[in-house]
Amino acid sequence: MAELKKERPIQLEISDLSMGFGGIQATRDVSFSVHEGEIYSIIGPNGAGKTTVFNCISGIYRPQEGSIRFQGREIVGMKPHKIAHLGIARAFQNIELFRGMTVLDNLMSARGFLLPYGLFRSALYLGKCVREEINARDAVEEVIEFLDLQLFRKTPVGGLSYGLQKRVELARAMAMNPRLLLVDEPVSGMNLEETEDMARYLLDINEEMNITVVLVEHDMGLVMDLSDRVTVLNFGIKIAEGPPREIGQNPEVIRAYLGEERIQGRS
Amino acid sequence: MDSVETTFPKLLMENTRQYGNRVAMREKYKGIWQEISWETYLDKVKTLSLGLLEMGLKGGDHASILAENCPEWLYADLAIQAVRAVSVGIYPTNSPDQVQYILDHSQSRIVFVKDQEQADKVLEIKDQLPLLMKMVVMDMKGLRHYDDPLIVSYQDVEDLGRKAEERDSEAFDEMVLQTDPEDVAFIVYTSGTTGPPKGAMISHKSDIHMIVKGLQPILHFSDKDFLLSYLPLCHIMERNLSMCMPLVFGYTINFAESIETVPQNIQEISPSFFAAVPRILEKLHSAVKIKMEDSTRFKRFVFRLWEPVGIEVAEYRMKDQRPPLAWLFLYALAYLWSFRPVRDKMGLLRCRCVMSGGAPIAPEVLAFFRSLGVHTVEMYGLTETCGTVAGPHRVVKHGSVGEPCGALEFHLSEDGEILLKGDSVFTGYYRDPEATREMIRDGWLQTGDIGKLDEDGHLYIVDRKKDIIITSGGKNISPSEIENKMKCSPYVKEAIIIGDARKYLTSLLQIDYDNVGNWAQNNKIPYTTYRNLAQNPAVYELIKKEIEGVNETLARVETIKKFRILEKELDQDDEELTATQKVKRRVIEKRFKEEIAQMYGAR
Repeated sequence: MAELKKERPIQLEISDLSMGFGGIQATRDVSFSVHEGEIYSIIGPNGAGKTTVFNCISGIYRPQEGSIRFQGREIVGMKPHKIAHLGIARAFQNIELFRGMTVLDNLMSARGFLLPYGLFRSALYLGKCVREEINARDAVEEVIEFLDLQLFRKTPVGGLSYGLQKRVELARAMAMNPRLLLVDEPVSGMNLEETEDMARYLLDINEEMNITVVLVEHDMGLVMDLSDRVTVLNFGIKIAEGPPREIGQNPEVIRAYLGEERIQGRS
Repeated sequence: MDSVETTFPKLLMENTRQYGNRVAMREKYKGIWQEISWETYLDKVKTLSLGLLEMGLKGGDHASILAENCPEWLYADLAIQAVRAVSVGIYPTNSPDQVQYILDHSQSRIVFVKDQEQADKVLEIKDQLPLLMKMVVMDMKGLRHYDDPLIVSYQDVEDLGRKAEERDSEAFDEMVLQTDPEDVAFIVYTSGTTGPPKGAMISHKSDIHMIVKGLQPILHFSDKDFLLSYLPLCHIMERNLSMCMPLVFGYTINFAESIETVPQNIQEISPSFFAAVPRILEKLHSAVKIKMEDSTRFKRFVFRLWEPVGIEVAEYRMKDQRPPLAWLFLYALAYLWSFRPVRDKMGLLRCRCVMSGGAPIAPEVLAFFRSLGVHTVEMYGLTETCGTVAGPHRVVKHGSVGEPCGALEFHLSEDGEILLKGDSVFTGYYRDPEATREMIRDGWLQTGDIGKLDEDGHLYIVDRKKDIIITSGGKNISPSEIENKMKCSPYVKEAIIIGDARKYLTSLLQIDYDNVGNWAQNNKIPYTTYRNLAQNPAVYELIKKEIEGVNETLARVETIKKFRILEKELDQDDEELTATQKVKRRVIEKRFKEEIAQMYGAR
């Protein structure tokens, strides 16, 4: 299956990405490319620069060097909302939702940027606005159905369990109608059952809606099960890339995760 | 109508002629209740059954349905029957092993599954099912990359059917004409509290006969009724209510969005008739109790203030009498001030009748619903008698399951066992003549239930014949009656009485995690898990008080001397409950041997 996906066109191409904060170099010359319809994971120990890469893709940071091309277009330097319009959505690690608003309202507002009318017209709420609202709700309902959130439509997000909030966070990103989904640690702090559910949802999103998924995750089981390909970062440098099975056996990766001495002790 | 001349597929065609564009079903999709007309219903069944025919399903074959309730369940059910094949329902909560048993035993050629979750179960066991030709998947989400030749999508079967229809548009009508009232329409596998499930064969004739002669005089359906379908459809009760009876009476069925949203959906639909199993009614009852505790003092006061009015008026209504005007006036006030909002919250605002069936219920729970002005009907029935034996026809009596219905001949044997005879007795167990012979002796169906009749001909069920406890003192005790009394407490979810051949009665019980958890929170008792909560001495004291309350209402020999709170929740996956959530007594007595021994310990 991974072989098949490789033949598909490249959707996201990152080359020589470098980003530093003062004296700290968060990423150095990172390059990789993601094919359309792939599940691509970025792993690495704490502080390896994974989230920095995400922040560069979604336009929150502007990298000092390198380029990021999405569907052939350079997106370095673009404003985050422009990038969202191109079809990149992101689900954050620390849930970024309006806690006092209901699940439905959160998802509807996530679609707000797609609505073509302005303040004046929406105040009058005439024909086109009504139509667009209905379309938006229709798309949101699809996401609700997809992620089994029917029970919580009218529940304020703040009152949901952590695992559910994570799911709503994913739904919020999905509601933006993306071509590429950046998912930042979707299962951190979840129990086994919630993790399995989340894995199921990510696979379904990828297969059913044909959305490319780029995943940052610590849970190795999840990464190995889901990913078509994996990139490993360590101290901002890419140390390996390949299908999960190869990565799991790569000595450099094991060293990065377990430390030098443990390896020697074992061998 | 003395003898039944029709079948369910024929009824579907008749209803479509009569009702055409009227709503047959509603399904909540994308947050909106979407309507399905009788015409669409027929059309869907037609294409599907022609598709099944194309796939090679023949008359006399068997096909299973493994899915949660949805319109496609009914389409599949009727499509299977239309080709004169036999339809078999499987509980969606069953484990792969249990699914395999039924698919294998029923010799199913085709199985319908709802989604990936169910499909995975079948794929896991398909090697042991040589007869199975195809698996029809209703929702292909997550399955597109499976390349198992067994899988075919529901859509594809419909396409096959549509092509067949283009070739010969009369084929379906002719096929339906061929269906015979004596045909076995479907097989209902009993949930099996003892031993493996048995497949009861139900014919069109016996079920329609029961609906018209037995159920209708009790339930009074019309085409203006609307119900919510949420109990498992493979059970005879929901099968009758959602599939068979709408075909006879033309009422509307609403499908819940998902299992979790049932309470929400009930409130949205506010069905005119609410059928439930005791567990659901107990839950509604305790939810109101708990909410009242958490409510403001004034609201609590109002609720208690009007309660006696409801109880008094219910007394008249149970006797089928008109309450005096003064009471009616008070009732009107009480309704506006208290009953209406409470019923609205429960989704029973427009409900003309609450029906309880499937297992015995504590009379107190039904009394609570009556006190809110809802008519209640407790029914007694068996899968083997198409779901019904008795129900209150006009007068409702506390604790009685009403008069034996008109569709069956009724007889009490010398030891009090209920015996039945008539057109609505099932055809037999599939591939189990032995069990059939054991069940029907000298033409009488042996129910295995002990009952007694009062002077007005109202039936009271004592218990299952084999469950009756005889203490070492020689007293006969019906455990389910005591258990139901205990389950009335909002804090007790499940209770099992033990005491056969022992000196005194004891009980194992499971606390209601939500309600006890809520109580613990209010009393600032910290806990982490069910187990942790169950071990808490304060919880033990709480339950002890509840049991003392129950003991006061019982005769001396019936009182519970000791009890243990189970440290785990009973689960279908652990074989402790059946798919219908009934307790498997034998399994539990074996599994918790130590706890039981402790209660009778030589201390």
